[in-house]
Amino acid sequence: MNIMRKSAETGGTLSRKGTVSKADLAAEKTKNEEAAMMADIAKLNSMSIRFTKFKTLLDMPVIDLEQLRKLSWAGIPEEIRSTVWKLLMGYLPSSADRREATLQRKRKEYEEYVAQSFGRGKATLDQALYHQIHIDVHRTHANIPLYQTPRIQEALERVLYCWAIRHPASGYVQGINDLVTPFFHVFLQSYTKGDVEKADLDQVSPEMLMEVEADSFWCLTKLLDGIQDNYTHAQPGIQRQINRLKELINRIDARLYSHLQAQGVEFIQFAFRWMNCLLMRELSLRNTIRMWDSYQAEGTDGFSDFHLYVCAAFLVKWTEQLKKLEFQVCLKAMDHASPHVLK
Amino acid sequence: MSKDDEYDYLFKVVLIGDSGVGKSNLLGRFTRNEFNLESKSTIGVEFATRSINVDGKVIKAQIWDTAGQERYRAITSAYYRGAVGALLVYDIAKQQTYENVNRWLKELRDHADTNIVIMLVGNKSDLKYARAVPTDEAKQFSTENGLSFIETSALDATNVELAFQKILTEIYRIVSNKALESENNERGAVPGAGQSITVAPTDTNAPKKAGGCC
Repeated sequence: MNIMRKSAETGGTLSRKGTVSKADLAAEKTKNEEAAMMADIAKLNSMSIRFTKFKTLLDMPVIDLEQLRKLSWAGIPEEIRSTVWKLLMGYLPSSADRREATLQRKRKEYEEYVAQSFGRGKATLDQALYHQIHIDVHRTHANIPLYQTPRIQEALERVLYCWAIRHPASGYVQGINDLVTPFFHVFLQSYTKGDVEKADLDQVSPEMLMEVEADSFWCLTKLLDGIQDNYTHAQPGIQRQINRLKELINRIDARLYSHLQAQGVEFIQFAFRWMNCLLMRELSLRNTIRMWDSYQAEGTDGFSDFHLYVCAAFLVKWTEQLKKLEFQVCLKAMDHASPHVLK
Repeated sequence: MSKDDEYDYLFKVVLIGDSGVGKSNLLGRFTRNEFNLESKSTIGVEFATRSINVDGKVIKAQIWDTAGQERYRAITSAYYRGAVGALLVYDIAKQQTYENVNRWLKELRDHADTNIVIMLVGNKSDLKYARAVPTDEAKQFSTENGLSFIETSALDATNVELAFQKILTEIYRIVSNKALESENNERGAVPGAGQSITVAPTDTNAPKKAGGCC
């Protein structure tokens, strides 16, 4: 009885309040809408200001790379990312009057590489190498239809093959197929309207695609030059990075460190791939591209030193969850769950 | 500890073989009953577990799936240590992957424990019309080299369960025989055995069920 009366009272109060606040609600709604609109405008304004800042920098006869790096750290607008990446990777010269000539020369050079290797058909290629690249390209971003089109796959195969035969110290190593795609994606984007993943490839001429390919080749080359010993025999670069990650975690999160030790989880068991594929297996391509804005903004050590700190942050993010898990689950969580958590 | 963690024996098994023969999908089929056409190449070493029953004992298989590419050997061979079993996989439709089996056996001889149980696995048996390696040839090779042999298809699930069941049973027989021997010699130490658990006795008072499921 008591309860019923109480609820009736509450109901009464509620309905009374409801009638009174209808007008209030409407006013509130308008207020909220206004606030959201203002926030949108503010966001657009700041984007526009950022864009203008980039534009001003890019229009200078000699680009101040230091400024460009500073600006790029927080993310590069999609419309100009292709140009900015080429500048930050040191592929495009900072002085405007040398840019076009350099591009033409580099692209021609790459075309010659392709002609040398692929000019007499695929049968003349190093079959073991080509086979490895071929099967890996077919399972690269298999979830994105763009990467399942034969034209794109063949382009990626050429880039990887030409790179591999020019770098015998490491040769092609599985995972490098992932590393070429952010470049390829961003550069192709600049030739298509709208979302590159949904682009009509018929509008990309063979000449355009060859340019995307050449630019991707040279930027991949620059990237790998900086982390070459990640891919030479026994992969000493990766081993070193893993040791440094271990030391770092011990310093910043000793409890997580001792938990992993106690569970017998070795850093190499989960962090090897993080280093080998620069976290591309754990993050979406979209997120990777955004991360690479900052990596490149960090300068020459972005893909090695800075990446190490990113990995540490990545690991520490799950400290609380990981501390509750024992060996098997711990490893499995890092192997499989991490992409879902972050996406 | 959850139910998952209760087991009588913990066996470490490695999956090795050339790139693209389907190692990861064999593991996916066995541990998650999944086949992924879009699976990416394995980088370094990946890991999964599943428990099965052998002679009323719970055997927990800790399976390390390795990258097939040559460059990763230095990394992956470190994982051979302590492994009691190896599934050496080739692709029945790719002659080269079968020819490389000898190189993989050498890898095991160089890096794994000498008494590791090895099973040769001809995967992709669903590709009937593309077969390049005759079953008899692989079978004979296995006999000559003291390996068990089976053909599987991770895609249509043929023999995958059986392959793991077979190798784990074989390991179990060896380990439990050894355990018996050492029990006779000196009580206590059980080599290779995981942590033992007490299994509750069956309730003898429970009414007997009539046969059949209904």
